Amino acid sequence: MHNKPALFGWPELISVLVLAAGFFVPMYTRSVLVYSILNQAFIGVIAAQSVWIMLRMNLLSFASPAFMAMGGYTVAIAGQHDITNALILVPAAFLIPALTSIPLGAMVLRLRGTYFVLVTFVLSQILQLLLFETPGLTGGSNGISGIPPVTLFDMEFGSNKMVLKFACGLAILATIITGVVTRWFRQPFAAIEENEVLAESLGLVVWRYKALGFMVSAGVAGLAGYSLVNMLLTAHPTSFESGSAVDFIAYTIIGGRATILGPLLGTGILVYATNLFGTHGQYAQGLYGVLIILVVLVARGGLTGLVQALLRTVIRRKA
Amino acid sequence: MQFLQATIIGVSLGAQYALLALGFTLIFGILGVVNFAHGGFYMLGGYVAYSCVAYVGLPFPLAVLIAVLATAALGWVFELFLLERLVDDHLATLMLTLGLYLVITTGAMSAFGPLSMDFRFPVGGSLHVGTLYLPWQNLIVLGVCLAAIGALWLVLFRTDLGRGLRALADDRAVAMAQGLRPKLLFPMAFALATGLAGLTGALVTPILSLSPGVGDPVLATSFLTVILGGLGSLEGAALAAFVVGLVEAFSSVYFGGSIGALVLFVLVLLILVFRPTGLLGRTVRGA
Repeated sequence: MHNKPALFGWPELISVLVLAAGFFVPMYTRSVLVYSILNQAFIGVIAAQSVWIMLRMNLLSFASPAFMAMGGYTVAIAGQHDITNALILVPAAFLIPALTSIPLGAMVLRLRGTYFVLVTFVLSQILQLLLFETPGLTGGSNGISGIPPVTLFDMEFGSNKMVLKFACGLAILATIITGVVTRWFRQPFAAIEENEVLAESLGLVVWRYKALGFMVSAGVAGLAGYSLVNMLLTAHPTSFESGSAVDFIAYTIIGGRATILGPLLGTGILVYATNLFGTHGQYAQGLYGVLIILVVLVARGGLTGLVQALLRTVIRRKA
Repeated sequence: MQFLQATIIGVSLGAQYALLALGFTLIFGILGVVNFAHGGFYMLGGYVAYSCVAYVGLPFPLAVLIAVLATAALGWVFELFLLERLVDDHLATLMLTLGLYLVITTGAMSAFGPLSMDFRFPVGGSLHVGTLYLPWQNLIVLGVCLAAIGALWLVLFRTDLGRGLRALADDRAVAMAQGLRPKLLFPMAFALATGLAGLTGALVTPILSLSPGVGDPVLATSFLTVILGGLGSLEGAALAAFVVGLVEAFSSVYFGGSIGALVLFVLVLLILVFRPTGLLGRTVRGA
């Protein structure tokens, strides 16, 4: 059906290298603020990548908080049973949302455009309500607290430094998964993005790629949930509010949707900007709003698109 | 008696939801835009009315009127200068309204702070009918909402403006061939809808609460109602609004918690997936 493309390109490589720099941060600083910003950024990047995978097929998803909650609560419930080994929990946090997304996808992937947006919004509202209504499993409005820290071989990721390293590792893993999947299925995804009806009429089995993308997007969001729960050491419904989907969408759209660098750049800049507001973090939402409007009106490629256009002009002038 | 009380609460909630959902569905039906800022206009209506009463000392009815005009004006400007450029790109318009919502909420928060305002309905007391206690404020809101729904119906079905708007919703190409001008009518439709959201906000926030976050649940309820009724269908939205109001009232009286909301959302999910045309089942606009 399609030529097998290279599994890793420059954007993916740059993303992994930039994220990997996070491992070295603890050598230079012990600042709690820096750790906190980086943790937020690592979690945000993963969640934004989950949004980005669906955007590759021109589907805007509000469901990422729902899948994050599935991943996060999986880890929290396992922690209650003293299962803390990352070798078990990482696959679990990926697979449980990914498997749940199969039946959900069978229902919601029939919809496109505006209707898909609405149905994913409804989906994350339902999951939020379910978290409150199932206290036996999820602790209801109290959530699950006192989760033991992650362990890997004989290491325990309990200290600030280790939590940061773990978040960094998860972000790299998510980037590799996202990068490989979007590279491998680049052509079918692009065909669906361009014109789904045409792609289908040319013989592309569209539902197969959409289901696969949805599954990987759900799994990646589950990893973001794991990272979030591991940072907070609690799983609470308010951590997975459907409104937080807006942040992840903002990261992706403002960063630019053309390459995987978009979610990375968008998350990095917006998380940093949010922290510039200090204790008034809620005002950052206004900045997101203005930037979203600007990107939609004047810079459809987002920040990465702007940088690309700038580079192109510079190169043309030199030539 | 509890049954009757719940019914009355449900109907009065339904009337408020109908005003919000009618505006929301009007925008979708005519422009094809999902207005993520709808809750923002509701919230803004509340703040404008509050400012008029608290800072200028205007009587409440006049404050409500100004809130309607202000939210309609903002909607008109936003449509004319921003939305209009990309009106046929569904995802772009959705992002624009989302951006506007974030800006409005943050604006309200910087101007009034994140806490609830002390904004009270000017009429207190309740009407006693037998053992029933019906607060006057709810009855007044119900009356105004029903009157507004009636007025909207008159505008849409008995005036040239309404005929033009409905024609554009039915088939834009044919309507334009007949000489209707979307550039003129789209901003008016948007303003009409945001004005209704502002009216609801000005009327209801003194009874419920007024803080920058009040738009979120309003948006969720508008979604629920409009999908239940079939996106873009006016009759469907009005009917669904009362269904949602009654389900909420009864579930909060008899079950408590969020079971009612959960049931509604699951119902909406199923409707979206299996019957996107909603309760009344009329095809309004393709996705």
